[in-house]
Amino acid sequence: MAPDPTPVTEPFPISHIAGRYLLFDINAISHARRHHNICGVLIGTLPNLSQQNVFLGIPLELMPEEARVLVERGHAYIVDDVRAHRKGCLEMSRDERLKYLREMDRQGLEFAKGVREKAEERAERALREKGLVGRRGKEESEAPQESADAEGVSTSNSLLDSTPSTSPSVAVPEKKLEPHFITPTTSYPPLSPPSTDAALPLPSVPKSYPLFRYLNSRGYFAMPGLRFGCNYSVYPGDPLRFHSHFLATGLDWDEEFELLDIVGGGRLGTGVKKAYLIGGEDPEATPAEEEEQDGASAKPVRAFSIEWAGF
Amino acid sequence: MTRPGLLKPAVQPSPLQSLVADSNLLSKQSHLPSLHSLALQLQHNLQYQHSWTDLHVHTHSPVTNEPLPRPLLSGLPPQRLYIHPDEQIELLKNADRERKARKAGDKDTLEVKAEPEREWVLPTRLSEKWTLHRLADVFNGISKIPPEHASSGAEEERAVNPWRTKKRVVLATVDTDSTVVYYIVHDGVVKPRQN
Repeated sequence: MAPDPTPVTEPFPISHIAGRYLLFDINAISHARRHHNICGVLIGTLPNLSQQNVFLGIPLELMPEEARVLVERGHAYIVDDVRAHRKGCLEMSRDERLKYLREMDRQGLEFAKGVREKAEERAERALREKGLVGRRGKEESEAPQESADAEGVSTSNSLLDSTPSTSPSVAVPEKKLEPHFITPTTSYPPLSPPSTDAALPLPSVPKSYPLFRYLNSRGYFAMPGLRFGCNYSVYPGDPLRFHSHFLATGLDWDEEFELLDIVGGGRLGTGVKKAYLIGGEDPEATPAEEEEQDGASAKPVRAFSIEWAGF
Repeated sequence: MTRPGLLKPAVQPSPLQSLVADSNLLSKQSHLPSLHSLALQLQHNLQYQHSWTDLHVHTHSPVTNEPLPRPLLSGLPPQRLYIHPDEQIELLKNADRERKARKAGDKDTLEVKAEPEREWVLPTRLSEKWTLHRLADVFNGISKIPPEHASSGAEEERAVNPWRTKKRVVLATVDTDSTVVYYIVHDGVVKPRQN
């Protein structure tokens, strides 16, 4: 595994906006995935042009279960982002605002410079591959010699015959570099990160939460299970590297279910080389040793894996 | 109009019907007769349709000796019913090693040897509703491997499979038209087979 590019200080904030739990910081996203088996779903797309594909960007939407696991274990806290923004932006002084804008301009200019350098590099490499010129940028002073070179080669290249004026002696005046406009994905800075005192209470979660917590604590990754008609599709490692193992459905301990659901889930799971997993919290049992990190409040979870018997 | 008792009934009861109605088998008072007859019906199905052997009805837990939530069956399928994916890898490796060890002239096939294992069977009806609680109670009452019976003493020295680390039952669900489906239920998170 590659080393962490930028370490994230825990607990990191989770933005709660319009009932969704969102992560905007790319470092926090990779941190949660790397260290806490939390994938979430990237939902960043064009407004009104949402599409189902794998090329969506930030923000990352967390299921309430994922947000709750992170908060319960002390890795994150929930922030009412609307309030934090309104408060932070209104309290910002003029000096700070100008400083921030200047900083954005500086970053934009740097970015634009980087883009131009990359483009020049690419052009140079392409020319060199064709054997046309060496270092283009350096040779603006030695233009006559270079143009001779270029003509010498172009005789063998019918494409360039019509355009012998590739000579850079007609040097285009260097365009003034326009700074790129940068849209930062997070607002900290300029705002100071919201304090953990103002954190919102634990997210409310569906009844399948105990099963989610149990699987997460055992190192499994969970993704939404809609595609397979269950609560979660559960992966034994990062979903980019593994096929999922289980179609998991969380139930209450005394909740009645139809045997037809078991048969259907088991048959579907076996058909796609997975097992159907049902599980829930046993309210009568005493906490088992494997649950110690969740504190005493968490009851042990019991799960059953179902597969077709094959006869 | 009364019929003399000597007269044959218009329709002979099927063997299954007479088996299920056999008062000797139903005489045990530990469970409801409907649950007993369900177990017998599945025993019949396993024995005659799927060629299982060594079938027994269990009314009491071999672990605690308490009555089980319902009568369970145990039996020996004709082939191995379940191979854990990790065990499968090992079996394939062994088979490959043996094939290489054989002389070139012999048949060049991969022979995977997996001895059949005794299984628990949980009889259910499709119309029933279950809960995690009831399922857990069934698992609490059973042992990892069904107990050997005196009648099958000849095969007592069968080695214990080291891969069988979690309890499992075969969930047999029977519909009103007597169709039976069989599913393997493991107690715990067990990774799926890669068929």
